[in-house]
Amino acid sequence: MFMGKVVGTVWSTVKWEGLHGLKFLVVRPYHLADLAPHLLVRPTPYTMYDGVVAADVLGAGPGEDVIVAYGHSARVAVEPELPDGKLPSRPIDAAVVAIVDHYHVESAAQDEA
Amino acid sequence: MMLGRVVGEVWATRKNPRIEGRKALLVAVLGQDGEKRTPTGEVVVAFDSIGARIGHTVAVAWGSGARAVFAAPDNRWTLVDAAVARIVDAVLVEKDGKEVEERED
Repeated sequence: MFMGKVVGTVWSTVKWEGLHGLKFLVVRPYHLADLAPHLLVRPTPYTMYDGVVAADVLGAGPGEDVIVAYGHSARVAVEPELPDGKLPSRPIDAAVVAIVDHYHVESAAQDEA
Repeated sequence: MMLGRVVGEVWATRKNPRIEGRKALLVAVLGQDGEKRTPTGEVVVAFDSIGARIGHTVAVAWGSGARAVFAAPDNRWTLVDAAVARIVDAVLVEKDGKEVEERED
């Protein structure tokens, strides 16, 4: 999982059947330079952060911070429990699992203590 | 699994019911930089069940390994893709052909 900021919404008309009704967001992952730059021992090369396309069933919107899960957990996140022991199989591999209220990162002062 | 340093905590009230009650930590991924382990800059969110705190070095398990931390053996509906699997006390590394123990603070 990672924490990121919602920076956009994806619209599409042609899609796989199982994806109808699912909303997709573009989420930009937070980098340590955004959260606690004092912990970076050496400046890491600034990269163009990849935007991750994540399915959303919680109703997150642009500007909000979210937690995104990958893989099997993402499919579990958008699916009610299926009968007959079936496993979630919609073709997604990233999904919003929480909308962040608040986060706390260790401060420079704490780091020295 | 990967080594990381716990750098923060996250709180959310609007969340998937399948992660109700989980404690979410921000973990900075550590890379081997010569003889030192330093943050690569990547930050992940991992659920914790063993009491890891800010400043701890931890090993994070991914995917079905992470689900196994929380709900073995039937974890098909468990929602977790990264979990703190252990709090690291020391790492043995090879230096000049010898094994050297590097203790974590």
